[in-house]
Amino acid sequence: MKMRTLGCMTLVLLTMLFTFPAASTLAAESPIVLGCPLSTAFLYGWDAERGFILAVEEINAAGGVNVGGKKRPFKVETIDTRDLEPGVPVSEALLAVEKLILDKKADFILGGPVRSEAALAAMPLLSKHKKVSILTTGSLSPKYHAMVAENYDKFKYCFRIHGEAKNLVGEMMANFSSLKEKYGFNNLFIIAQDVSHARGAAEIIKDVAGKNGWNVTGLEIFPTGATDFSMALLKAKDTKTEIINIWMDMPESAILLKQWYDMKVPALPFGSTLAAAEQPGFWKATDGKGEYTLCNVVNAGNAPSDATEWTMKFYDAYTKRWNVEPEGLGASSSYMAAYVLKDAIERAGTIDSDAVVAALEKTDLMGVYGRIRFDPKSHQVIPANDPKEGAVGSILQWQAGKRVVVFPKSIAKGEILLPPWMKK
Amino acid sequence: MDILIYGTINSVALALYALGFALVYGISRLPNFAHGALYVTSGFIAWSARNTFGLNYPLSILAAMVITALIGAAIYRFFLIRIRGMEISEIIASYAVALAILEGLRWKGFKGMTYTLPAFIPGSTSIAGISVDYQRLVVVGVGVVLVTLLWLFTHYTRIGLALRGMAQDERAALMLGIDSDVMAIVAMALGSMLAALAAVLLLPLGNIVVESGYNVLILAIAVCIVGGLGSWMGAVLAAFIIGFAQILTVVYLGSHFQMVIALLAIILTLILKPSGLFGQQKELEERV
Repeated sequence: MKMRTLGCMTLVLLTMLFTFPAASTLAAESPIVLGCPLSTAFLYGWDAERGFILAVEEINAAGGVNVGGKKRPFKVETIDTRDLEPGVPVSEALLAVEKLILDKKADFILGGPVRSEAALAAMPLLSKHKKVSILTTGSLSPKYHAMVAENYDKFKYCFRIHGEAKNLVGEMMANFSSLKEKYGFNNLFIIAQDVSHARGAAEIIKDVAGKNGWNVTGLEIFPTGATDFSMALLKAKDTKTEIINIWMDMPESAILLKQWYDMKVPALPFGSTLAAAEQPGFWKATDGKGEYTLCNVVNAGNAPSDATEWTMKFYDAYTKRWNVEPEGLGASSSYMAAYVLKDAIERAGTIDSDAVVAALEKTDLMGVYGRIRFDPKSHQVIPANDPKEGAVGSILQWQAGKRVVVFPKSIAKGEILLPPWMKK
Repeated sequence: MDILIYGTINSVALALYALGFALVYGISRLPNFAHGALYVTSGFIAWSARNTFGLNYPLSILAAMVITALIGAAIYRFFLIRIRGMEISEIIASYAVALAILEGLRWKGFKGMTYTLPAFIPGSTSIAGISVDYQRLVVVGVGVVLVTLLWLFTHYTRIGLALRGMAQDERAALMLGIDSDVMAIVAMALGSMLAALAAVLLLPLGNIVVESGYNVLILAIAVCIVGGLGSWMGAVLAAFIIGFAQILTVVYLGSHFQMVIALLAIILTLILKPSGLFGQQKELEERV
């Protein structure tokens, strides 16, 4: 009897001995470090971080990343770049990126820097360290992917997985044309923040709108931190403007929208990167004064829609994990970046930068906001209005306390409404 | 007309930003670089009192003003008192306190654009065909009343006279039995309360964000330097000069030059008349 008990115990011990290492393989394998330089005190920073964490938790729970037959977990290392804060020099963001690479031993850089100026300045640094980077939030400057296309060998490590300013301009213009057709609108006023992507986009839209027969009644560029927009709004009113196109990610844009409402300016506030209006809490924060405000959350998934089968799954998972709906530009794209990187690493079978670059260029994945593919020359995600064709954007309008997707038509949940003081 | 209306509103807003800073410096020669942080803090206190603790709006405002005044007094009692008279140290210490407060708020999760206070009176009206919301009219009204009350306080009340005595000649005031530390604490509390008043008046126009603490400090300093450090009446006049200059700049030059005005005003004042419009500091040096 004693011998049998001893035999059983030995068997159990041996089983444990052989099975335990197998079960803990994931923990034993060194993690793949995702360095995330983000301006974490701002919407475009913290929602991106939440997107990464959610994706990484899901990926790790499902076994991690298969790197040449070995399962390795992802690990997120975030550093606050503060690059969205007024007065913080670009060099601070570069130091953050360098710290992620040298101190935190980041294998990949995902997320930012968030401000275009900082993202552009970080490109040579990424090349120097041969670090594959996927921009997922904030930086909309077309110059980013233009630089990759112009000097591929140097900047081939840089990718961007969300829409860029030219894209956004195209989406804006498509909506302006619809409004022109439907309501006979013809006067456009542009208000932009004095930062690279907003200035650039405002100039582009001024040019494009002029060529498309719009009467551009004004272009006002406000410094970051400006707190009074009355004169610009009065100009818009005096010039019988029908659409105010806003390019601002600063918190003070809420003042602009409240002033618009209080002054009953008879023009539709049509924002692009209008961070204040992107957040689900905007309605409560403005006591409903933000109704009818439109803004572009750049990628589907940042507002509720049925772009793909994955869209609402992500939307619900994010809401469950963070007790808030996906909040704006950066949430769905950051989430997707982790999955896209996982897919590329698994296809490459290694985390070697050049191999991963080659794999990323061949990415073809149906994601949260449509088919994800990168232009092989510029490494910009390929946009589309149909999620089956490419990455789709999302323009939403605040209607009765809800964020209603109104563009593109393929995923729209409603139509653009006009405020009562605009109806003739 | 629009320039006149919105120029006045902008000027009164600048005056409200600056009055607390000017008062503290005018009375106790303390450059309170925590002024902007106190402004933001009071906004979050009012928000928390209303949304977290469920107080009604007037009580939330009162709580914000009282607590901010106490914080201001504590900053002097526990930090600045030890370095009193060493202006550079006072600047560094008060700015360090400001950073600690602002970063502390951010660390505690006060970030984002969804923290707001409601307007005292919702809605808007039309003045000479120009739309103006009631909250901005409240700002102007309270600003005018505040300046009047401050003048009465410093000219007709015992504490006000003691504060002026301190401002004019600290040694003589000490000889007359006025405790300079007590007066400095009173000045800090009053200045902080003024920052809180500015916050509860102006924050309903937009939202409460940590970063505005730095902007408010810069604007307050610009107004005080142009008006003359130590002169709160000078600060009011400077607020009108800078306020109208900003609005005129937006109209005739371009909105992106708006923020430059305040900084340009500091540079020009320091080059042409370092004592400012009504300042007494350095005036003797300038004459020499």
